[in-house]
Amino acid sequence: MTQGSLISVVDDDESVRESLPALLSQFGYRVRAFSTAEAFLESDCVSETACLLLDVAMPGMSGLELQRALTRRQQAIPIIFITACPDDSLRALVLSEGAVDSLVKPFSDTVLLESIKAAIRGPA
Amino acid sequence: MFRSIWFDREPASVWPRFNLPSIGERLGRLRAGTAIKRAPHDEAVRRREGFLSAIQRVSGSGGFSWQVATDRMIVSEEFYRIFEFDPAAPVTLERIGARVHREDISLFHESIGRARRADGDFEQDFRLQMFDGSVKYVHVAARATADCEGAWEYVGAIQDVTQRRLLEDALSKTRAELIHVARVTTLGTLTASITHEVTQPIAGIITNASTCLLMLAADPPDLEGARDTARRTIRDGHRASEVITRLRALFSKDSVATESLDLNETAREALTLSSSELQRRRAVVRTEWADHLPPIQGDRVQLQQVILNLLLNAAEAMHGVDDRPRQLVLKTALDEDHRACLSVQDAGMGFCHEAVERIFEPFYTTKRGGMGIGLSVSRSIIERHRGRLWARPNDGAGATLGFSIPAEPAGTSGTSGGL
Repeated sequence: MTQGSLISVVDDDESVRESLPALLSQFGYRVRAFSTAEAFLESDCVSETACLLLDVAMPGMSGLELQRALTRRQQAIPIIFITACPDDSLRALVLSEGAVDSLVKPFSDTVLLESIKAAIRGPA
Repeated sequence: MFRSIWFDREPASVWPRFNLPSIGERLGRLRAGTAIKRAPHDEAVRRREGFLSAIQRVSGSGGFSWQVATDRMIVSEEFYRIFEFDPAAPVTLERIGARVHREDISLFHESIGRARRADGDFEQDFRLQMFDGSVKYVHVAARATADCEGAWEYVGAIQDVTQRRLLEDALSKTRAELIHVARVTTLGTLTASITHEVTQPIAGIITNASTCLLMLAADPPDLEGARDTARRTIRDGHRASEVITRLRALFSKDSVATESLDLNETAREALTLSSSELQRRRAVVRTEWADHLPPIQGDRVQLQQVILNLLLNAAEAMHGVDDRPRQLVLKTALDEDHRACLSVQDAGMGFCHEAVERIFEPFYTTKRGGMGIGLSVSRSIIERHRGRLWARPNDGAGATLGFSIPAEPAGTSGTSGGL
């Protein structure tokens, strides 16, 4: 049941932090947004997050570093990377380290929703 | 474009009174080539005048005198040649004016007007246009004098400086081309940054518009929410537009536009533009902004070009460094000589003292696939800002590159520095 699930958005861009929660709440999700990876780690949302939308390039801890930190903490949160720069090797890397998907901005809402549903559903 | 130099001088005090025909008349002899009487000392005079004539020919300068009260003009042979006048006809201001380039006519008349009002010695550049349409650049220098009767006249030379001007223009154009090429090269390197800067607001627009449709399709429609998304969409549209404008300014070929600048603000913008590229190279950026940095006079676009060059070089220098943080420190300061300084310190491969000057050579590069134009052009930009660009290896790893530019004197208005 995806309704009411918590989605966490970590992105240093203000537009993203405003637009994604507004979009996703239309589909019944609860959304929290963070401007840094550190802020997310320090929050009380980590264990409750059903799906993490994660930017790659951020000042301070990068998206990749956060992914590794969560793995080290054995926090198995499904991660969908969102990035402004298409980079095949980066995509391959994050997928190999367990990410569910990596989307390139700008992406359509349909693509994002499908990806989130698949992430929360989990591996078949 | 043209210099006008006026010297404040009393005509009478400049020239001692000689018991000789006026200079105008002596020039007249040069032109007409007729001696008044054949006397023994005329041989020496003729030789001297032949010498003077040769000098004028070789230097492309024509002598003239202009008696202000009567407008009588006497000019040398070379003067006729420069203006391509018929040597049989006398020269008048009207005839000269007819040769002056259309665009410089008002400048010419203004100069004549000032000369009539006894403003003193002067120099003036302007262009001539010949019958066949060709353009000549000339430089005039005239000195106010009084002849032996006390009548006041201007005596001077007009020089054909077309060759020199054309060369200067070509040099200037080549310099602008070189700067443009350097920018475009940096543009290739900055593609990731540019994509990033523009993509973010565009992604925001698409998401917000999608949300808007969903809200309008809800039962009942969420009008307030839809309005919010529309407002955010507009804001993101403006943001994208600002990025484009900034980038267009950075990469245009326009010539120098000087204004009063805050070095901190200028550097911050450059840092923003390159931030995602620096992040991509995993450079950790630390900034130390000086407080109360006085403004500098400069071309924002060109200085940002230099700062970008230094930042990207620093990041590139740290390629392959994995045993220590790829730290990049951007620092501004005011030195004891009242110069605004900016430095970029990296923790990369560095270079030895002997190599310091080599890195400024036009095509020197250690970059893989780099063109190496950057630092040489950057140095020339800084020098045109009356500043200095320097490089030195660090005590530890890496190198520091920086520049200093004279700041405006204390008390001038401008944006204040500091955070």
